[in-house]
Amino acid sequence: MTFLRTHRTITTIIAFVLLYAVFKVLYLTGILNTYYIQLIILVGINIVMTVSLGMVNGFTGQFSIGHAGFMAVGAYTSAMITTTWLHVSTANPWVGYPVFVLSLLAGGLLAAGVGYLVGAPSLRLKGDYLAIVTLSANELIHAILNATEAVGGPRGLGGIPKFTNLEVVFVFAIVSVALMRNYLFSSPGRSMKAVRDSEIAAESTGINTTKQKVFVFVFSAFFAGVSGGVFAHLLQFIDPSSFTFVKSLEYLIYLYVGGAMSISGAIVGPVIFTLLPELMRSLQSWRMVIYPLILILTMIFRTEGIMGLKEFSFILIPQRQRKEVSA
Amino acid sequence: MALLDIQHLTQFFGGLRAVSDFNIQLEHGEIVGLIGPNGAGKTTVFNVITGVYAPTKGTIVFDGQSIVGRKTYQITQAGIARTFQNIRLFSQSSVIDNIKIAYHFRMSYGNTDAFLHTRKYWQGEQQVDDYAIDLLRLFHLEGHADDISGSLPYGAQRRLEIARALATKPKLLILDEPAAGMNPAEADELMEMIHWLRDKFDLTILLIEHQMRVVMGVCERIKVMDFGETICEGVPEYIRNDPRVCEAYLGKGA
Repeated sequence: MTFLRTHRTITTIIAFVLLYAVFKVLYLTGILNTYYIQLIILVGINIVMTVSLGMVNGFTGQFSIGHAGFMAVGAYTSAMITTTWLHVSTANPWVGYPVFVLSLLAGGLLAAGVGYLVGAPSLRLKGDYLAIVTLSANELIHAILNATEAVGGPRGLGGIPKFTNLEVVFVFAIVSVALMRNYLFSSPGRSMKAVRDSEIAAESTGINTTKQKVFVFVFSAFFAGVSGGVFAHLLQFIDPSSFTFVKSLEYLIYLYVGGAMSISGAIVGPVIFTLLPELMRSLQSWRMVIYPLILILTMIFRTEGIMGLKEFSFILIPQRQRKEVSA
Repeated sequence: MALLDIQHLTQFFGGLRAVSDFNIQLEHGEIVGLIGPNGAGKTTVFNVITGVYAPTKGTIVFDGQSIVGRKTYQITQAGIARTFQNIRLFSQSSVIDNIKIAYHFRMSYGNTDAFLHTRKYWQGEQQVDDYAIDLLRLFHLEGHADDISGSLPYGAQRRLEIARALATKPKLLILDEPAAGMNPAEADELMEMIHWLRDKFDLTILLIEHQMRVVMGVCERIKVMDFGETICEGVPEYIRNDPRVCEAYLGKGA
């Protein structure tokens, strides 16, 4: 059992290292140019965004539709720290990277704080209140950023040092998804799914459902905030229009097409939909016909998303063999 | 002292008086039935006891403490577990996870251990897995442990719901129409099971039931409600021959 667990973990780590090595070699040999590497990094960021959204929407059964708002909080916080306040740069990585990591955590924590303010009052209620409140919060954050001259207003915030690279995003995505996956396969993780299946039954089995929902919502906002920081230090420029409701909608699409009730689905969705527009580049404007067509067809023929309830084996936790007892 | 003591419970929904001046005392180890025609207020009494509604008037004392105004999960943690009229399992979760969820509030590890899968996590998981499989075995569900609970046959779902309620380690178990949808053979099994539950888990049981055979066969004391009022109470033989009960169920002149 312990052997199996360690064995699985080691295999998974080796697989990720190999994947990283493949990308790195392809980059160094010039087969993948900087643009494609940036695309791969975006895939990593989108995976964390989608998996964290899936914690709330897929596994806890709530409907949050303003995830990009939390991403904005994290992006602006970390960019302000590294760029405007501390002026760190990639020229001095020994100072730069620790500051960058701390700024990501600060962005995550502030996003979690905003998540608490948004979630605590609305998650007490049952029904669609959360959707309305998260949508409004997203728009509100957008409007505040637009109106705040100190963060650049509608012009945005530029000159952000490019700390995000392939290595950073690999570590970031793997650690984030591993933490959320661990949480899901635990006692509080089972309680999340209980809330989704029947809130009243969950409450009658002794679960403080409000507390559980708020906690999930807050850590989901935390990961969105950190993703925002990583995103800001990739593009080196952010403006309020990068974090509108349309952006939130993109993550909802990734999630529901991939499969909201599976972590693997929340990985598959963003991989496909970040790369697909690029792969179809040769089709030119037909892209915009094929993209929605794929959405419609998946929703008709696979209502539960591409992965449904299935998980890749590296996501699952090896179960111990129970001793058989003959009746 | 009574395990559950309800005095002068009255429940209004707007202008509708769903329950009026309801009193009941449950002694430790009793099996008591609550019967009455549809709309008599039985399920409302259950919902008030379990904190789904706060009572308009009256006191509810459980195990020496007032539970009026407490949340449902707090009441469960205090030792009252229930099942539902229409089964409410965690239908997307496995059978064994249904049991483990009910163990959650007694789980030995917290959120940090959950994120990091610490040693404490693995110990806790092993402990709950052993506990849950033993409980499932008592209800002959161990063979279905890893099946999705929504895919179980009806009778097995009923058993699982009771097993899940027991996983919260209650002192008082309240069953809302446990025999609903069961054929006579299944109902007989259920009656046997209710007695066995009481003895095995040292429980006090309060149940709502429409099948008279089950109520008369299993309850030591019965309370009859109609239009929110208690119209009669006593041992099954007394209830069976009471004209008010016949009238409530069958109408005047029957």
